[in-house]
Amino acid sequence: MKRIGLMLLIVILAIPVLGNVGAQGDDVVTLTFWDNQQTESGLSAYQQAAVDEFEAAYPNIKIDVVTVPYTEYQDRLILAVQGGNAPDISTVDQIWNPAFAVAGAVMPLDDYIANSETVAEDAFFPGAWQSAMWDNQVWGIPFNVDVWQFSFYNKALFEAAGVDPESITTWDGLKAAAEALTDPDAGQYGVGLFGFPNESIVVVVDSFIFSNGGAVLHEDGSCALDEPESVEALNYLVSLIPYAPEGLLNTKNEDIRQLFLNGSVGIEWWPALEQPTLQSSELDWGFVAGTAPEGKTPVGTYGGWNLVIYDQSQHKEEAWKFIEFLTSKDVNGKVVDLIPANIEAAQSFLAENREGADMILEHLNNAQPRPLSPNYLELSDIEQQMIQSIFSGAAVEDAVADACSQINDLG
Amino acid sequence: MAAQIRVHTAKRSSPQRKETHGLGLAILFVLPAAVLVLTLMYYPMIRTFYESLFSTSFLNPTPEYIGLQRYSDMLHDSDFWQIVQNSLVWTISVVLFQNVFGVLTALLLNQNLPGKSLMRGIVLLPWVLPGIVAALLWRFMYDPQLGLINSILISLGVTTQKTAWLAEPGMAMVAVIVAAVWKGFPFSTVIYLAALQGVDQQQIEAAQIDGANAVQRFFRVVIPSISGIIRLNLLLTTVFTFNYFDMIWVTTRGGPLDSTHIFPTIIYEYGFGKFKFGDAAAYGVVAVLILSVFALLYLYELRESIRGRAS
Repeated sequence: MKRIGLMLLIVILAIPVLGNVGAQGDDVVTLTFWDNQQTESGLSAYQQAAVDEFEAAYPNIKIDVVTVPYTEYQDRLILAVQGGNAPDISTVDQIWNPAFAVAGAVMPLDDYIANSETVAEDAFFPGAWQSAMWDNQVWGIPFNVDVWQFSFYNKALFEAAGVDPESITTWDGLKAAAEALTDPDAGQYGVGLFGFPNESIVVVVDSFIFSNGGAVLHEDGSCALDEPESVEALNYLVSLIPYAPEGLLNTKNEDIRQLFLNGSVGIEWWPALEQPTLQSSELDWGFVAGTAPEGKTPVGTYGGWNLVIYDQSQHKEEAWKFIEFLTSKDVNGKVVDLIPANIEAAQSFLAENREGADMILEHLNNAQPRPLSPNYLELSDIEQQMIQSIFSGAAVEDAVADACSQINDLG
Repeated sequence: MAAQIRVHTAKRSSPQRKETHGLGLAILFVLPAAVLVLTLMYYPMIRTFYESLFSTSFLNPTPEYIGLQRYSDMLHDSDFWQIVQNSLVWTISVVLFQNVFGVLTALLLNQNLPGKSLMRGIVLLPWVLPGIVAALLWRFMYDPQLGLINSILISLGVTTQKTAWLAEPGMAMVAVIVAAVWKGFPFSTVIYLAALQGVDQQQIEAAQIDGANAVQRFFRVVIPSISGIIRLNLLLTTVFTFNYFDMIWVTTRGGPLDSTHIFPTIIYEYGFGKFKFGDAAAYGVVAVLILSVFALLYLYELRESIRGRAS
């Protein structure tokens, strides 16, 4: 009996060792890749098809794709990094990239880029490449881009109110259209202004400031929100409040989408990524690129995601191969639901998948990035609070003065 | 616990060896639970306090010792006092109304009315609904354009305006309190229903014979009989409410303008919204300190009620 027990013990102890021997023979590396999904374009299925293609080309690398809903993506990534369970590769929002670099969560990629045949700076949109730079090193490879915002409009409502859609590219035109389209008794609102404190309202407000020739920060890093151009843009947004649905401070852009889709809102603001959602709806819609004061060009706010390799990864070489694959001109367009960051891929992607490809490209080329700083999230938080104060009735001058004193204290 | 068992074993058997054996056995039984409590509860709590003494964030993963600096900064920060004020308003209001409604519905369900069992089941619905689902439900109902509440009020002619319940700084707190009371009062109902069934019917009948009316019977006989349970339930619901995260996070995320931020939501926002783990830890420690007062009161009440029953 004792002998049988001993043999059993030996067998149990030996199983993990034998298992390892087998694994070493196969030498298969499994990479974990995290991405988030922002649209209803069926991204996961496209990514899986690309992954199958990659695995066929590299039989020794397996990819485990994890798609996380956008709203919880940031929390999950931070938790994973803090808990030592970071994926090998993930997408990170452009605005997180400097923070991830400074925190040591991700690794610099300059050496890989120097030896790469496919990844080079001039293959990507310049603003996107810039967003991955920190301290003269490259910490991510641009994956996808987009620009806030395009004004999507409801054709039927515009026709009924006799409004020319092109008129809403100017501030005066937008306000006049909003007024003409608004009829609160009928539950109809001209413009889908929202004010819930998150990044979406920051990019919209920034684009109004940029379009008026203003900026969030001066070149020396000090706050520029109290400059006349910014103040004017913020006052202009306040003047649109009577034409927006009630409950501005707790309204998200997703709430506005619901109202737009059911015909209660005439104009909604989104990046081009809104198109798949609208295409799958029954709404008759059109869109124009941004809004600016008469005589000025609408300037959008740059957005997008970069691919990073985590410092904790045990398979950095293999991870780099996967990044090269995902950002190549033939593949990049198949694995994104925004616009591919690879310029060649973007051109064919837009022609195939988006209406108004030229307009989108032009708006993308005019776009300005948000401040690239490891403190960006704090800066954004201050801006969000400022916008909430202004939308709840505080004087613009007082709110920007308060925000600027906080931003300048960030250092 | 170990001491109690030791006393019992000592009474039963005098030999020294048996007593030691009993003690060892007691420790053996208690050990797994003790290890679990230590690792899952006390270690994270102590670790949180330790974390709050350092300036740590996602950007500065290397901790820098700052001692109690953060606590002294916090006491001079108006945002902190706003959180304290919000937490007090939220907790006191929700607990008060939950308990009042709890007692009233329990009294109703304690009557011999037709369909009593069915009603008892239905009244429990809000409590068994998952927190996120309940919060989403209320978010939809409060929606200014599409929400049920505005559409009912407008169709009844109460108002012509679409009220943005969750978007006005003064109104939002009231709105989340109403939602939380709805979600939580069935818990109190169940507790009080059980308590009411333990009230001595003879006393009530005696009071009735002596000429006490329904209100007098309620305040002079029923309430004193269940006062121990009321105190316990008040304490329990206070702890639940103080820690209640989902309702506020889903409906307002602490806004507008921080007017509904309470301790759990601000801790989450500092930790995961701003990556300021040290600040999140400090708020966590203060929350634990506040809750400890209630926990001690709860333990005291529990001991008193056990003593009361024993005597």
